[in-house]
Amino acid sequence: MNPFTLVRLPTLDAARERVSAEPQRRTFRAGGIDLLDRMKEGLDAPDELIELHAIAGEHGARMRGIAATEDGGWRIGALVTLGQLAGYDDLPPAYGAIKDAAGNAATPSIRNGATVGGNLLQRPRCWYFRHSDLLCLKKGGYECLAVSGDNRFNAILGGGPSFIVHPSSLGSAVVALDAKVTIAGESGLRTIPADQLFAPPTVDPTREHTLAPGEVLVSVDLPPALPGQRSAYHFAKEKQSQDWPLAEASVRCTVEGGVIQDLRVALGHVAPIPWRSKEAEDVLEGAAPSAEVFAKAAQAALSVAEPLEGNAYKVPLAQGVLRYALHFATSTPLPA
Amino acid sequence: MAKTEIKVGFGDQVKAVSVELPKGEAKPWDADAQLEVVGKPIPRRDGALKVSGRAKYTYDVNLPGMLYAAVVRSPLPAAKVVSVDTSAAEKIAGVKAVVQVAEKGDAVLFAGQDVAAVVAERPEQAWQAARAVKVEYEQRRFVTRLAFAATPDAPLVHRGAVEERRTEGHVTEGGGGDAQGNKRPLRPMKKGDVSKGLKGATVHEAVYETQVQTHSALETHGIVARWDDDEHLTVWASTQSIFSVRDELAEVFDLKPTNVRVHTDYLGGGFGAKFGASAPGSRLGTIAARLAKQTGAPVKLMCDRHEEQVCTGNRPDSIQTVKVAGKGTALTAIEVQSIGTAGIGTGAGVGRNAFAVYTKCPNILVDSSDVFTNAGPGTAMRAPGHPQGAFAFELALDELATKLGVDPIELRLANDEHPVRLWQFEEGAKRFDWKAKRAESKRLREGKARIRRGCGVAASIWGDFGRPKAAVVTCSVLRDGSVEIRNGVQDIGTGIPTVLAQIGAEVFTRPLDTIIVRYGDSELGSSVGSGGSQTTSSVTPAVRNACEDAKEKFIEHVAELLGAKPADVSWANDGTLSAGGASITFAQACKKIPGESITATADRPATYGNHPMPFLGAPMPQIAGVQFAEVEVDTWTGVVRAKHVLAMHDCGRVMNRLTCTSQVNGGVILGTSYALMEQRVMDHDVGRMLNPNLESYKICGAADTPEIEVVLTDVYTGANNTGAAGIGEPSTIPTAAALACAVFDALGEPVRRLPMTPSRVLAALGAVPAPKGLG
Repeated sequence: MNPFTLVRLPTLDAARERVSAEPQRRTFRAGGIDLLDRMKEGLDAPDELIELHAIAGEHGARMRGIAATEDGGWRIGALVTLGQLAGYDDLPPAYGAIKDAAGNAATPSIRNGATVGGNLLQRPRCWYFRHSDLLCLKKGGYECLAVSGDNRFNAILGGGPSFIVHPSSLGSAVVALDAKVTIAGESGLRTIPADQLFAPPTVDPTREHTLAPGEVLVSVDLPPALPGQRSAYHFAKEKQSQDWPLAEASVRCTVEGGVIQDLRVALGHVAPIPWRSKEAEDVLEGAAPSAEVFAKAAQAALSVAEPLEGNAYKVPLAQGVLRYALHFATSTPLPA
Repeated sequence: MAKTEIKVGFGDQVKAVSVELPKGEAKPWDADAQLEVVGKPIPRRDGALKVSGRAKYTYDVNLPGMLYAAVVRSPLPAAKVVSVDTSAAEKIAGVKAVVQVAEKGDAVLFAGQDVAAVVAERPEQAWQAARAVKVEYEQRRFVTRLAFAATPDAPLVHRGAVEERRTEGHVTEGGGGDAQGNKRPLRPMKKGDVSKGLKGATVHEAVYETQVQTHSALETHGIVARWDDDEHLTVWASTQSIFSVRDELAEVFDLKPTNVRVHTDYLGGGFGAKFGASAPGSRLGTIAARLAKQTGAPVKLMCDRHEEQVCTGNRPDSIQTVKVAGKGTALTAIEVQSIGTAGIGTGAGVGRNAFAVYTKCPNILVDSSDVFTNAGPGTAMRAPGHPQGAFAFELALDELATKLGVDPIELRLANDEHPVRLWQFEEGAKRFDWKAKRAESKRLREGKARIRRGCGVAASIWGDFGRPKAAVVTCSVLRDGSVEIRNGVQDIGTGIPTVLAQIGAEVFTRPLDTIIVRYGDSELGSSVGSGGSQTTSSVTPAVRNACEDAKEKFIEHVAELLGAKPADVSWANDGTLSAGGASITFAQACKKIPGESITATADRPATYGNHPMPFLGAPMPQIAGVQFAEVEVDTWTGVVRAKHVLAMHDCGRVMNRLTCTSQVNGGVILGTSYALMEQRVMDHDVGRMLNPNLESYKICGAADTPEIEVVLTDVYTGANNTGAAGIGEPSTIPTAAALACAVFDALGEPVRRLPMTPSRVLAALGAVPAPKGLG
C-alpha cells in the first residue's frame, strides 16, 4: 500500500471540489472497506483520501440519518452503516427487502463500518479484477479474462463485454423498491431513479456507476409505500458465514383481491448491474400467488440467461432464490 | 527381564496380558489404573492469554533494532530468470539490503517462487522495495491442469532430478517406479487378486475427484532471526517442529545444532506445513537468517496471506477411479487407481482407507501416482492422503451398498475387523438413530421434497506413531514446593503443556497449579515434531518416567529426613509424608532439599504393545474412528448444510477430555470445510491461483459448522506407560466422506467431486449438465 494523506473537510462542497480537481489522485472514503482492500492489493493507489465522515452541517446530517420524508417516503443517508440500517426498527416492513439485504451482507464487523453509499458504489469482486498480477478488461486490458477462464461466479444475465456481477447486496433491493438516489454534483443536488445509478459494461467496462468524478452519493430515497406494500429479499451462498451471494432476489408487490399487483422484481449477483426482471413481472402481474406460478415466473426470469461455461448452475439456483423471495413477499407457504 | 501383568482392551473387552517392560519404564496406566487428574476435562493453561491477545506469537516478536524482510516472487508459472535488477529497490528509503535468491539462468517452476529478497527498517519500505526489484523472465510453457499434466503432450515440469522433501510425521509412500513425463508412480498397496474378486460379483465403478486444499493457518509462516555472534543463531519460528528448524538452520549455515536456539512460545496453527525453518515452497527461514547476518540486525520475515496460499504447501488433489465389488455383504475386490498433483512436489497418494479398513476383503489394489504441475508444492496436511482416499472409497462403498441392497453400516460391519471400530459403528448407529433417520431421508427423497435430509457414515484409520528416545524430559522438585517439567516441545495448539502438567500432578499427587511446565524452546531438552499425531504419545511417557524417577529420589530424601527406609514412606493425598510415626509436609520436605532441586531426566522407550489390533502389521496399535454425519440439502439452490456430526474416536487413554474433544472438533470442522467449500482455484491459462486469500478461498465459519458430538472411546493399548495415542489426524479423516455419503442419501445421486458446492449438487440433481472437473 502506498502512503496517503487523509483529508478532513467540513463541507460537502469542499470535499467534492477537492476530488473533482484531481480525481486520478484523490478519492472519497466512507467506510473504507472496499477502498482499503483495493489499496492493500495494489489495485488503487490514491494520494489523498477525502473523509466523507468529516462533513458537518445539514449535508452531513442528511448523509448520516434515516428519516421519514414529507411525501411519506424514507430517506437513508449514504453514510448510514449497513448495521444501522439492518437494525433500524422504525423503517416500515414494506421496505423489508433493503433491511434484510443490509443485514445479510458480509459480517457484523464489516456491517458496522460499511456504508450504504459504499455498498452501492463498491468495485466488483471478480477474481480476475482483484488479482494484482492480471490485467483484465475492467482494469484497461483487452479482454474479460472470465470469458475463457474460471467464471463460476460471473454473470449469467446482461454480460458483455465484461462479465462481472454487481457486488452490491443493496442493489437489487433499491431497484425492486423503486428507490431514487440523490447525488451532489457541480450544480447542486439531483435525484435520479436508482437503476440509472448503475452502468452496464456496454457503456464503459471500466466503471459500474454513472457518477461523474467528484460527485457524491448523498442518500437513497425510498418512495412512499403503496397501500399493503410488501417486500422480500433472499439469497444463496456457498458459505453461510461471510460470503458473497451466488444469487439474490428482491421483490416488491401488493396483493389485492387475491392477485399480485405493483410487482417489481430485481436479481442481484447474476448480472453486471442489479437486474430488473420484466419477464418475471409479466408472468406475475395480476396473477394469484401460488408455488406453481412462482416457478413459472422464475423460469421466465432466467429464460433470457446466457451462462458461460462454468456458471450454468446459477440459472436454476437464481430461479430457486427468486421463488423463495416470491413466497416470502406474498406470504405464500413453501411447498414441502 | 521381569514380566509385568497389565489389563488392556476397551469397554467390557478387557483382558490381562503380560508385558516385558524396558528398564526404567514405569508400569503402564492400564484399565485398572484409577487416575485423579489425567483424563479430566481441564481447561488449557494459556486459554485466557490467547483469547485476550496477551499470548505472543512469532508474529508478535519485536526485537530492538529489528528489520523487516520481504520476498520478491515470480508472477509467472514457468520461466527462466534472464536478469535481476535491484538498483531501484536499493535506493528506497530505509532499505538495508537487496539480495538475489534466484540467479540469472535459474528456472522458475511456479507462480510464487522465491526470486529475490529485500530488508528494510519498516515493513512497508520492504514491500515497496520488493515491488521495485525488476526481474526479466523468459517465459516457458507450463501446465497446471492435473489430467493434462499426466499426458505425454504436457510440458515437463521438472527437467532435472526431483528433490524430495521429507517432513516429520509425513509417512511417505515412497517411489515405486520410474517417472514417465510428469507422472511418477508411488509404491502400490496390494493383496490378493482383484480380477478374481470381480468375477460373479456386483461391481460398482466410478471416478471421484478431490480438490487442492491449503493449510490456511491463521498465523502465516514466518520467523525472526538474530545472530548472537558468528557462531550462534537464535530464532523465533512459527513452527510445529522446533528441532527440525534447529537442525535445518544448523545445516544451511554450517553451525553446531546446539548453537542454534529456536523459540516457539505459541503457534497459530500448523496442520503439516510448518516443519522446517522455511516453508515447502519458499526458503524464507534461510532468507531471514541470511539477511540478518548480512545486516548485523535481527530480521523478521512473515508471509502475507497471498504468499501463504501459493507457496507454503497444500493438500494435493486427486482423480480416483474406484472399483468395488461384493457378494451379499462380503466385499470381494477393491481397486483404486489414482493420480494427484502436489504441484512441483511429491506426496499425492490417497492414504490407507481403501486398503486397510475393510480388511476382510481378500483382493485389494491401490495404485497411485504423483503428477507434477507448475504449482506450489503440496506437503503433509493433517492425515496426508487420507481424507481424499476416504471420500472416494466410502462414497463408492455406499454406491455399491445401494446396488447390493444392503445398509451401509451392515456392509461395513461385515468387512471391518477392528474391534473398536466395530463397536463404534454399532454404538454410533444407536446414538445417531441411524435407522429412523435413513427411513426419513428415504421418505423425503421419494416424495421429491424441497429440503432433503441424509445420513452417512465413514471410518478412520491411523497408527500410534509415538516415537522412542525423541523426547528427553527433565523433572525437578524445587525447594519452593513446585514441580518443574522441562521439554523443548512446541504446542501446536492442542494444549500439550496442560497435559504434561496433568501427568506431573498425577504422579506427585500435587495440585495442578504447582506444576510448572517449560516448553517451546530448543534449550529445554530434545523433543518431537508435532506430526503424525504423535506428540502426546511421544512426550507424556517420557514425562511420566522423569516424574516417577524424581519422585523416587524425593522419597529417598524424605526417608532420610524421617530416619526411615524409602519403602516405608507413605504419601497421603494432602501431601503429608510419614514413616514410623513421624511425618512432614511436602512443602517442609521441599525446603530441606539440599541444593536447589531434586532432578531426574528420562525418555520414552519404543512402543511395546499394540492392543487391541496392530496397525498394518506394524508393532504399534491401530487407532480407530467412525463418524456419522447428517446433512440438509436445499434442492432449489443446491446448498448443503452440515447439520450434525457424531464423532466416535479412539485415542488410547484420553489424557484430557476437554483438549482432546477440542482436537476432534477441529478435525470435524476442517473436514466439513473440505467437504463443502475449501478449494484452490487455478486459472489454467495464466497458471495462477485465483483465490489467494481467505475471502474466495472459503473456510467454514461458525454458521457452517455442524453440531458436533464427540464420543471418546478409552482404549488401553499397553503401548506405553501413559497409554496415550494420537487424535489430531484421525479426527479429520472420515468427515468429508461421511458428509458425501449423507448427501448421496439425501439426493439418491452421488456428488463424486469435492467440494460439494451448489454447482455440483444441482448437477447431481440433473438441473444442469455436470460442470467440468479437474481434467
